[in-house]
Amino acid sequence: MTPLTYRGPVLMLAALCLLASATGHATGSGPVVRLFPTTVLEDIRETGQVAEDMENNLQQVIHRLDMQQQLYTESLCQGADGDQGCERIAKQLGATYLEMLEVMSDRLPEMERAVNSTRSSLEKRLRQELGQRTTPTSLQNTLLGEAGTATPNAEERPALRGRSGVRLSDRFKQYYDLVSTSKNGPSQSLAVVAADIYLDMEEASQLIAFTQQEISRAALMEQLNQSFGMITPEMSAVVSGVKEILFGETAMESPIASPPYAIGEPEFESPLAM
Amino acid sequence: MLRHAKLLLAAPLLALAAACTTTSPDYCAVDVRGEIETAMRTVETKLGSGCEYHFDGYFQSLLTLAEANPDKNNRRYFSDHLMRVQEMGVISRRQAEGLYNRYFNVKFVSLQGDYNTCSQTCPIRKQVMSDMQAELHDKELGLLRASNDAASFYRADHLLKETDLVLEATCRACVAGGTR
Repeated sequence: MTPLTYRGPVLMLAALCLLASATGHATGSGPVVRLFPTTVLEDIRETGQVAEDMENNLQQVIHRLDMQQQLYTESLCQGADGDQGCERIAKQLGATYLEMLEVMSDRLPEMERAVNSTRSSLEKRLRQELGQRTTPTSLQNTLLGEAGTATPNAEERPALRGRSGVRLSDRFKQYYDLVSTSKNGPSQSLAVVAADIYLDMEEASQLIAFTQQEISRAALMEQLNQSFGMITPEMSAVVSGVKEILFGETAMESPIASPPYAIGEPEFESPLAM
Repeated sequence: MLRHAKLLLAAPLLALAAACTTTSPDYCAVDVRGEIETAMRTVETKLGSGCEYHFDGYFQSLLTLAEANPDKNNRRYFSDHLMRVQEMGVISRRQAEGLYNRYFNVKFVSLQGDYNTCSQTCPIRKQVMSDMQAELHDKELGLLRASNDAASFYRADHLLKETDLVLEATCRACVAGGTR
Protein backbone atom coordinates (compact mmCIF):
# COMPACT_ATOMS: atom_id res chain seq x y z
CA MET A 1 0.00 0.00 0.00
CA THR A 2 1.47 3.35 -0.96
CA PRO A 3 1.40 6.39 1.33
CA LEU A 4 -0.96 8.03 -1.11
CA THR A 5 -3.62 5.45 -0.38
CA TYR A 6 -4.03 6.88 3.11
CA ARG A 7 -4.77 10.30 1.81
CA GLY A 8 -8.35 9.90 0.70
CA PRO A 9 -9.99 11.29 3.86
CA VAL A 10 -7.07 13.62 4.47
CA LEU A 11 -7.67 15.27 1.12
CA MET A 12 -10.97 16.82 2.09
CA LEU A 13 -9.60 17.95 5.45
CA ALA A 14 -6.53 19.48 3.82
CA ALA A 15 -8.63 21.28 1.26
CA LEU A 16 -10.88 22.63 4.01
CA CYS A 17 -7.84 23.82 5.98
CA LEU A 18 -6.50 25.51 2.89
CA LEU A 19 -9.81 27.18 2.23
CA ALA A 20 -10.11 28.28 5.84
CA SER A 21 -6.65 29.78 5.94
CA ALA A 22 -7.28 31.51 2.63
CA THR A 23 -10.46 33.06 3.97
CA GLY A 24 -8.66 34.13 7.10
CA HIS A 25 -6.26 36.25 5.11
CA ALA A 26 -8.89 37.80 2.92
CA THR A 27 -9.53 40.58 5.37
CA GLY A 28 -6.05 42.05 5.43
CA SER A 29 -4.36 41.47 2.13
CA GLY A 30 -6.72 42.11 -0.72
CA PRO A 31 -8.20 39.47 -2.96
CA VAL A 32 -7.69 35.86 -2.02
CA VAL A 33 -5.76 33.84 -4.55
CA ARG A 34 -7.19 30.32 -4.79
CA LEU A 35 -4.83 28.28 -6.86
CA PHE A 36 -5.46 24.84 -5.46
CA PRO A 37 -9.12 23.93 -5.26
CA THR A 38 -9.98 20.30 -4.59
CA THR A 39 -10.09 19.43 -8.29
CA VAL A 40 -6.49 20.51 -8.81
CA LEU A 41 -5.37 18.64 -5.70
CA GLU A 42 -7.08 15.51 -6.99
CA ASP A 43 -5.34 15.91 -10.38
CA ILE A 44 -1.95 16.19 -8.69
CA ARG A 45 -2.63 13.15 -6.53
CA GLU A 46 -3.74 11.09 -9.50
CA THR A 47 -0.77 12.10 -11.64
CA GLY A 48 1.55 10.97 -8.85
CA GLN A 49 -0.24 7.63 -8.71
CA VAL A 50 0.03 7.11 -12.48
CA ALA A 51 3.71 8.07 -12.39
CA GLU A 52 4.32 5.56 -9.61
CA ASP A 53 2.64 2.77 -11.58
CA MET A 54 4.75 3.61 -14.60
CA GLU A 55 7.95 3.67 -12.55
CA ASN A 56 7.16 0.29 -11.03
CA ASN A 57 6.65 -1.18 -14.46
CA LEU A 58 9.78 0.33 -15.92
CA GLN A 59 12.19 0.02 -13.05
CA GLN A 60 12.94 -3.66 -13.54
CA VAL A 61 13.40 -3.34 -17.30
CA ILE A 62 15.65 -0.32 -16.96
CA HIS A 63 17.72 -2.06 -14.30
CA ARG A 64 18.23 -4.99 -16.67
CA LEU A 65 19.13 -2.56 -19.44
CA ASP A 66 21.73 -0.94 -17.20
CA MET A 67 23.26 -4.30 -16.35
CA GLN A 68 23.47 -5.30 -20.00
CA GLN A 69 24.95 -1.95 -20.91
CA GLN A 70 27.55 -2.37 -18.18
CA LEU A 71 28.41 -5.84 -19.39
CA TYR A 72 28.73 -4.56 -22.94
CA THR A 73 31.09 -1.80 -21.85
CA GLU A 74 33.15 -3.91 -19.49
CA SER A 75 33.55 -6.59 -22.17
CA LEU A 76 35.13 -3.93 -24.38
CA CYS A 77 32.52 -4.59 -27.04
CA GLN A 78 32.54 -1.04 -28.34
CA GLY A 79 34.04 -1.31 -31.82
CA ALA A 80 34.64 -5.05 -31.50
CA ASP A 81 33.00 -5.94 -34.81
CA GLY A 82 32.47 -9.60 -35.53
CA ASP A 83 32.81 -10.78 -31.94
CA GLN A 84 29.99 -13.28 -31.43
CA GLY A 85 29.76 -12.75 -27.68
CA CYS A 86 29.43 -9.00 -28.10
CA GLU A 87 26.83 -9.44 -30.80
CA ARG A 88 24.80 -11.60 -28.47
CA ILE A 89 24.97 -9.00 -25.68
CA ALA A 90 24.00 -6.26 -28.12
CA LYS A 91 21.00 -8.25 -29.30
CA GLN A 92 19.89 -8.90 -25.73
CA LEU A 93 20.30 -5.21 -25.02
CA GLY A 94 18.23 -4.35 -28.06
CA ALA A 95 15.51 -6.76 -27.01
CA THR A 96 15.34 -5.25 -23.52
CA TYR A 97 15.24 -1.82 -25.07
CA LEU A 98 12.27 -2.90 -27.18
CA GLU A 99 10.61 -4.21 -24.04
CA MET A 100 11.10 -0.83 -22.38
CA LEU A 101 9.56 0.90 -25.36
CA GLU A 102 6.56 -1.43 -25.21
CA VAL A 103 5.99 -0.74 -21.53
CA MET A 104 6.25 2.96 -22.17
CA SER A 105 3.96 2.72 -25.14
CA ASP A 106 1.36 1.01 -22.93
CA ARG A 107 1.71 3.43 -20.03
CA LEU A 108 2.33 6.76 -21.68
CA PRO A 109 -1.23 7.48 -22.85
CA GLU A 110 -2.49 7.31 -19.26
CA MET A 111 0.44 9.38 -18.07
CA GLU A 112 -0.23 11.88 -20.82
CA ARG A 113 -3.89 12.15 -19.85
CA ALA A 114 -3.03 12.67 -16.16
CA VAL A 115 -0.29 15.22 -16.87
CA ASN A 116 -2.45 17.13 -19.32
CA SER A 117 -5.32 17.18 -16.89
CA THR A 118 -3.15 18.64 -14.13
CA ARG A 119 -1.56 21.10 -16.51
CA SER A 120 -4.89 22.20 -17.87
CA SER A 121 -6.55 22.70 -14.48
CA LEU A 122 -3.54 24.61 -13.15
CA GLU A 123 -3.35 26.66 -16.31
CA LYS A 124 -6.92 27.77 -15.81
CA ARG A 125 -6.32 28.68 -12.17
CA LEU A 126 -3.12 30.56 -12.94
CA ARG A 127 -4.80 32.49 -15.72
CA GLN A 128 -7.84 33.38 -13.65
CA GLU A 129 -6.24 33.97 -10.29
CA LEU A 130 -2.80 35.40 -11.08
CA GLY A 131 -3.31 36.56 -14.66
CA GLN A 132 -6.73 38.17 -14.63
CA ARG A 133 -7.63 38.86 -11.01
CA THR A 134 -4.19 40.08 -9.93
CA THR A 135 -2.34 43.27 -10.79
CA PRO A 136 1.47 43.39 -10.90
CA THR A 137 1.36 45.26 -7.59
CA SER A 138 -0.81 42.69 -5.85
CA LEU A 139 1.19 39.84 -7.39
CA GLN A 140 4.26 41.26 -5.68
CA ASN A 141 2.37 41.54 -2.41
CA THR A 142 1.18 37.96 -2.78
CA LEU A 143 4.70 36.68 -3.29
CA LEU A 144 5.98 38.64 -0.34
CA GLY A 145 3.12 37.54 1.88
CA GLU A 146 1.65 40.92 2.65
CA ALA A 147 -0.20 41.88 5.82
CA GLY A 148 2.60 40.94 8.13
CA THR A 149 2.41 37.21 7.66
CA ALA A 150 5.49 35.43 8.92
CA THR A 151 8.11 34.75 6.31
CA PRO A 152 8.54 31.02 5.95
CA ASN A 153 11.63 29.29 7.20
CA ALA A 154 14.07 28.08 4.60
CA GLU A 155 13.13 24.44 5.17
CA GLU A 156 9.43 25.21 4.79
CA ARG A 157 9.84 26.96 1.50
CA PRO A 158 9.29 24.82 -1.55
CA ALA A 159 12.32 23.73 -3.44
CA LEU A 160 11.75 25.12 -6.86
CA ARG A 161 12.22 23.93 -10.36
CA GLY A 162 15.14 21.90 -11.53
CA ARG A 163 15.25 19.43 -8.66
CA SER A 164 16.85 16.27 -9.82
CA GLY A 165 17.54 13.03 -8.09
CA VAL A 166 13.85 12.82 -7.26
CA ARG A 167 11.47 10.26 -8.68
CA LEU A 168 8.58 11.68 -10.63
CA SER A 169 6.04 10.09 -8.28
CA ASP A 170 7.91 11.39 -5.24
CA ARG A 171 7.91 14.81 -6.74
CA PHE A 172 4.14 14.67 -7.05
CA LYS A 173 3.87 13.47 -3.48
CA GLN A 174 5.96 16.45 -2.42
CA TYR A 175 3.74 18.75 -4.44
CA TYR A 176 0.64 17.23 -2.96
CA ASP A 177 1.93 17.37 0.61
CA LEU A 178 3.14 20.91 0.14
CA VAL A 179 -0.19 22.12 -1.15
CA SER A 180 -2.55 20.10 0.96
CA THR A 181 -0.82 20.73 4.26
CA SER A 182 0.25 24.30 3.63
CA LYS A 183 0.80 25.94 7.00
CA ASN A 184 1.96 29.33 5.84
CA GLY A 185 -1.37 30.68 4.79
CA PRO A 186 -2.55 31.06 1.28
CA SER A 187 -0.97 32.34 -1.85
CA GLN A 188 2.47 33.30 -0.66
CA SER A 189 4.44 30.24 -1.59
CA LEU A 190 1.53 28.59 -3.31
CA ALA A 191 1.77 30.95 -6.27
CA VAL A 192 5.33 29.78 -6.74
CA VAL A 193 4.38 26.14 -6.24
CA ALA A 194 1.55 26.45 -8.77
CA ALA A 195 3.89 28.06 -11.29
CA ASP A 196 6.47 25.38 -10.59
CA ILE A 197 4.08 22.47 -11.11
CA TYR A 198 2.53 24.05 -14.18
CA LEU A 199 5.87 24.59 -15.90
CA ASP A 200 6.92 21.06 -14.97
CA MET A 201 3.70 19.73 -16.49
CA GLU A 202 4.28 21.76 -19.64
CA GLU A 203 7.70 20.18 -20.04
CA ALA A 204 6.46 16.71 -19.17
CA SER A 205 3.59 17.03 -21.60
CA GLN A 206 5.89 18.06 -24.43
CA LEU A 207 8.33 15.32 -23.55
CA ILE A 208 5.63 12.67 -23.46
CA ALA A 209 4.32 13.74 -26.85
CA PHE A 210 7.87 13.70 -28.22
CA THR A 211 8.58 10.31 -26.65
CA GLN A 212 5.41 8.83 -28.08
CA GLN A 213 6.44 9.99 -31.53
CA GLU A 214 9.87 8.56 -31.03
CA ILE A 215 8.73 5.21 -29.68
CA SER A 216 7.26 3.91 -32.92
CA ARG A 217 10.27 5.15 -34.87
CA ALA A 218 12.73 3.77 -32.32
CA ALA A 219 10.92 0.44 -32.17
CA LEU A 220 11.12 0.06 -35.93
CA MET A 221 14.79 1.02 -35.97
CA GLU A 222 15.59 -1.39 -33.19
CA GLN A 223 13.75 -4.22 -34.91
CA LEU A 224 15.99 -3.57 -37.91
CA ASN A 225 19.07 -3.31 -35.71
CA GLN A 226 18.29 -6.64 -34.12
CA SER A 227 19.55 -8.27 -37.29
CA PHE A 228 22.89 -6.48 -36.88
CA GLY A 229 23.15 -6.21 -33.11
CA MET A 230 23.92 -2.51 -32.72
CA ILE A 231 23.64 -0.12 -29.80
CA THR A 232 22.78 3.22 -31.25
CA PRO A 233 23.26 6.64 -29.66
CA GLU A 234 19.48 7.08 -30.02
CA MET A 235 18.93 4.11 -27.73
CA SER A 236 21.18 5.59 -25.09
CA ALA A 237 19.50 8.97 -25.42
CA VAL A 238 15.99 7.56 -25.04
CA VAL A 239 16.97 5.47 -22.02
CA SER A 240 18.69 8.46 -20.41
CA GLY A 241 15.62 10.60 -21.08
CA VAL A 242 13.30 8.07 -19.48
CA LYS A 243 15.55 7.72 -16.44
CA GLU A 244 15.82 11.45 -16.10
CA ILE A 245 12.09 11.99 -16.12
CA LEU A 246 11.07 9.06 -14.00
CA PHE A 247 13.93 8.67 -11.59
CA GLY A 248 15.53 12.11 -11.68
CA GLU A 249 18.94 10.72 -12.54
CA THR A 250 20.73 13.83 -13.74
CA ALA A 251 23.19 16.33 -12.37
CA MET A 252 21.70 18.52 -9.67
CA GLU A 253 20.62 21.88 -10.95
CA SER A 254 20.67 24.64 -8.45
CA PRO A 255 17.19 25.55 -7.32
CA ILE A 256 16.11 29.05 -6.68
CA ALA A 257 17.63 29.69 -3.32
CA SER A 258 18.85 32.46 -1.16
CA PRO A 259 20.30 32.67 2.27
CA PRO A 260 17.60 32.10 4.88
CA TYR A 261 15.75 35.09 6.16
CA ALA A 262 17.18 36.48 9.31
CA ILE A 263 14.89 36.99 12.23
CA GLY A 264 15.84 40.16 13.99
CA GLU A 265 14.58 43.47 15.22
CA PRO A 266 11.53 45.06 13.63
CA GLU A 267 12.23 46.72 10.34
CA PHE A 268 12.11 50.44 9.80
CA GLU A 269 8.90 51.40 7.99
CA SER A 270 9.22 54.47 5.82
CA PRO A 271 6.17 56.61 5.05
CA LEU A 272 7.45 56.48 1.47
CA ALA A 273 7.30 52.68 1.30
CA MET A 274 4.98 51.03 -1.21
CA MET B 1 13.56 104.58 -33.56
CA LEU B 2 13.30 105.56 -29.91
CA ARG B 3 11.68 102.19 -29.16
CA HIS B 4 14.64 100.38 -30.70
CA ALA B 5 17.10 102.36 -28.61
CA LYS B 6 15.21 101.45 -25.43
CA LEU B 7 15.38 97.82 -26.36
CA LEU B 8 19.11 98.04 -26.96
CA LEU B 9 19.57 99.53 -23.51
CA ALA B 10 17.24 97.07 -21.79
CA ALA B 11 18.92 93.95 -23.13
CA PRO B 12 22.25 94.30 -21.28
CA LEU B 13 20.43 95.32 -18.11
CA LEU B 14 18.25 92.21 -18.26
CA ALA B 15 21.30 90.06 -18.85
CA LEU B 16 23.01 91.63 -15.84
CA ALA B 17 19.98 91.01 -13.65
CA ALA B 18 19.77 87.39 -14.79
CA ALA B 19 23.43 86.88 -13.99
CA CYS B 20 22.82 88.06 -10.44
CA THR B 21 20.00 85.56 -9.81
CA THR B 22 21.64 82.58 -11.54
CA THR B 23 23.94 80.67 -9.25
CA SER B 24 27.38 79.85 -10.50
CA PRO B 25 28.37 76.17 -10.83
CA ASP B 26 30.77 76.55 -7.91
CA TYR B 27 28.03 77.77 -5.64
CA CYS B 28 26.06 74.51 -6.07
CA ALA B 29 29.07 72.27 -5.67
CA VAL B 30 28.93 70.37 -2.39
CA ASP B 31 31.69 68.28 -0.97
CA VAL B 32 29.51 65.47 0.33
CA ARG B 33 31.39 63.87 3.18
CA GLY B 34 31.39 63.41 6.94
CA GLU B 35 28.24 62.49 8.84
CA ILE B 36 25.47 61.44 6.47
CA GLU B 37 22.82 63.48 8.31
CA THR B 38 24.97 66.59 8.25
CA ALA B 39 25.72 66.08 4.57
CA MET B 40 22.01 65.75 3.90
CA ARG B 41 21.29 69.03 5.70
CA THR B 42 23.99 70.76 3.66
CA VAL B 43 22.51 69.36 0.47
CA GLU B 44 19.03 70.48 1.53
CA THR B 45 20.29 74.01 2.15
CA LYS B 46 21.74 74.09 -1.35
CA LEU B 47 18.56 72.65 -2.82
CA GLY B 48 16.60 75.41 -1.12
CA SER B 49 18.78 78.16 -2.55
CA GLY B 50 18.66 77.71 -6.28
CA CYS B 51 20.46 74.39 -6.75
CA GLU B 52 17.41 72.17 -7.13
CA TYR B 53 18.58 71.01 -10.56
CA HIS B 54 21.52 69.34 -8.87
CA PHE B 55 19.28 67.04 -6.89
CA ASP B 56 20.18 63.88 -8.84
CA GLY B 57 23.91 64.49 -8.41
CA TYR B 58 23.51 65.22 -4.70
CA PHE B 59 21.45 62.06 -4.22
CA GLN B 60 24.08 59.91 -5.88
CA SER B 61 26.80 61.54 -3.78
CA LEU B 62 24.82 60.85 -0.62
CA LEU B 63 24.44 57.21 -1.66
CA THR B 64 28.18 56.98 -2.21
CA LEU B 65 28.78 58.50 1.21
CA ALA B 66 26.34 56.01 2.78
CA GLU B 67 28.05 53.16 0.98
CA ALA B 68 31.34 54.24 2.49
CA ASN B 69 29.70 54.39 5.93
CA PRO B 70 27.21 51.51 6.03
CA ASP B 71 24.67 51.74 8.80
CA LYS B 72 21.21 50.24 9.28
CA ASN B 73 19.93 53.73 10.10
CA ASN B 74 20.88 55.02 6.67
CA ARG B 75 17.60 53.73 5.32
CA ARG B 76 15.71 55.98 7.74
CA TYR B 77 17.99 58.95 7.06
CA PHE B 78 17.31 58.67 3.34
CA SER B 79 13.59 58.38 3.95
CA ASP B 80 13.62 61.52 6.12
CA HIS B 81 15.81 63.36 3.62
CA LEU B 82 13.52 62.50 0.71
CA MET B 83 10.48 63.56 2.74
CA ARG B 84 12.06 66.94 3.51
CA VAL B 85 13.16 67.48 -0.10
CA GLN B 86 9.64 66.63 -1.22
CA GLU B 87 8.16 69.10 1.28
CA MET B 88 10.52 71.75 -0.11
CA GLY B 89 8.94 71.14 -3.50
CA VAL B 90 12.19 70.05 -5.14
CA ILE B 91 10.77 66.66 -6.06
CA SER B 92 7.25 65.29 -6.14
CA ARG B 93 5.84 62.73 -3.74
CA ARG B 94 5.89 60.17 -6.53
CA GLN B 95 9.59 60.83 -7.19
CA ALA B 96 10.38 60.56 -3.49
CA GLU B 97 8.54 57.24 -3.24
CA GLY B 98 10.16 55.98 -6.42
CA LEU B 99 13.67 56.72 -5.20
CA TYR B 100 13.15 55.39 -1.70
CA ASN B 101 11.56 52.16 -2.87
CA ARG B 102 14.06 51.63 -5.64
CA TYR B 103 17.01 51.70 -3.24
CA PHE B 104 15.66 50.83 0.19
CA ASN B 105 12.58 48.66 -0.15
CA VAL B 106 12.33 44.94 -0.81
CA LYS B 107 9.47 45.55 -3.22
CA PHE B 108 10.18 46.48 -6.81
CA VAL B 109 9.08 49.76 -8.32
CA SER B 110 9.49 48.08 -11.70
CA LEU B 111 6.63 45.69 -10.95
CA GLN B 112 3.66 47.93 -10.41
CA GLY B 113 0.39 48.66 -12.11
CA ASP B 114 -3.35 48.75 -11.75
CA TYR B 115 -4.32 46.57 -14.69
CA ASN B 116 -4.30 42.79 -14.61
CA THR B 117 -1.11 40.84 -15.12
CA CYS B 118 -2.21 39.23 -18.39
CA SER B 119 -2.80 42.56 -20.06
CA GLN B 120 -0.22 44.79 -18.39
CA THR B 121 2.86 42.75 -17.57
CA CYS B 122 2.81 39.75 -19.89
CA PRO B 123 3.19 41.70 -23.15
CA ILE B 124 6.36 43.32 -21.77
CA ARG B 125 7.52 40.56 -19.42
CA LYS B 126 11.12 40.53 -20.62
CA GLN B 127 11.40 44.29 -20.23
CA VAL B 128 9.87 44.12 -16.74
CA MET B 129 12.33 41.42 -15.71
CA SER B 130 15.22 43.40 -17.13
CA ASP B 131 14.07 46.51 -15.23
CA MET B 132 13.74 44.48 -12.04
CA GLN B 133 17.24 43.14 -12.51
CA ALA B 134 18.57 46.69 -12.85
CA GLU B 135 16.59 47.70 -9.79
CA LEU B 136 18.10 44.82 -7.83
CA HIS B 137 21.51 46.39 -8.45
CA ASP B 138 20.25 49.62 -6.90
CA LYS B 139 18.82 47.65 -3.98
CA GLU B 140 22.21 46.05 -3.56
CA LEU B 141 23.63 49.53 -3.10
CA GLY B 142 20.82 50.82 -0.89
CA LEU B 143 19.97 47.78 1.20
CA LEU B 144 23.14 45.75 1.28
CA ARG B 145 26.04 48.16 0.92
CA ALA B 146 24.60 51.34 2.41
CA SER B 147 22.23 49.91 5.04
CA ASN B 148 23.99 46.67 5.95
CA ASP B 149 20.66 44.89 5.58
CA ALA B 150 21.60 41.61 3.92
CA ALA B 151 18.34 39.88 4.89
CA SER B 152 16.20 42.43 3.06
CA PHE B 153 18.47 42.37 0.03
CA TYR B 154 18.31 38.58 -0.25
CA ARG B 155 14.58 38.77 0.16
CA ALA B 156 14.45 41.15 -2.79
CA ASP B 157 16.73 38.83 -4.73
CA HIS B 158 14.43 35.92 -3.95
CA LEU B 159 11.38 37.95 -4.87
CA LEU B 160 12.92 38.67 -8.26
CA LYS B 161 13.49 34.97 -8.92
CA GLU B 162 10.04 33.99 -7.73
CA THR B 163 8.50 36.71 -9.87
CA ASP B 164 10.39 35.42 -12.88
CA LEU B 165 9.04 31.90 -12.32
CA VAL B 166 5.47 32.96 -11.56
CA LEU B 167 5.32 35.37 -14.48
CA GLU B 168 6.65 32.75 -16.85
CA ALA B 169 3.90 30.34 -15.83
CA THR B 170 1.16 32.94 -15.59
CA CYS B 171 1.96 34.52 -18.94
CA ARG B 172 2.02 31.11 -20.61
CA ALA B 173 -1.38 30.42 -19.08
CA CYS B 174 -2.64 33.80 -20.31
CA VAL B 175 -1.45 33.09 -23.85
CA ALA B 176 -2.89 29.57 -23.74
CA GLY B 177 -6.23 31.06 -22.67
CA GLY B 178 -6.21 33.17 -25.78
CA THR B 179 -5.40 30.29 -28.08
CA ARG B 180 -7.07 27.24 -26.57
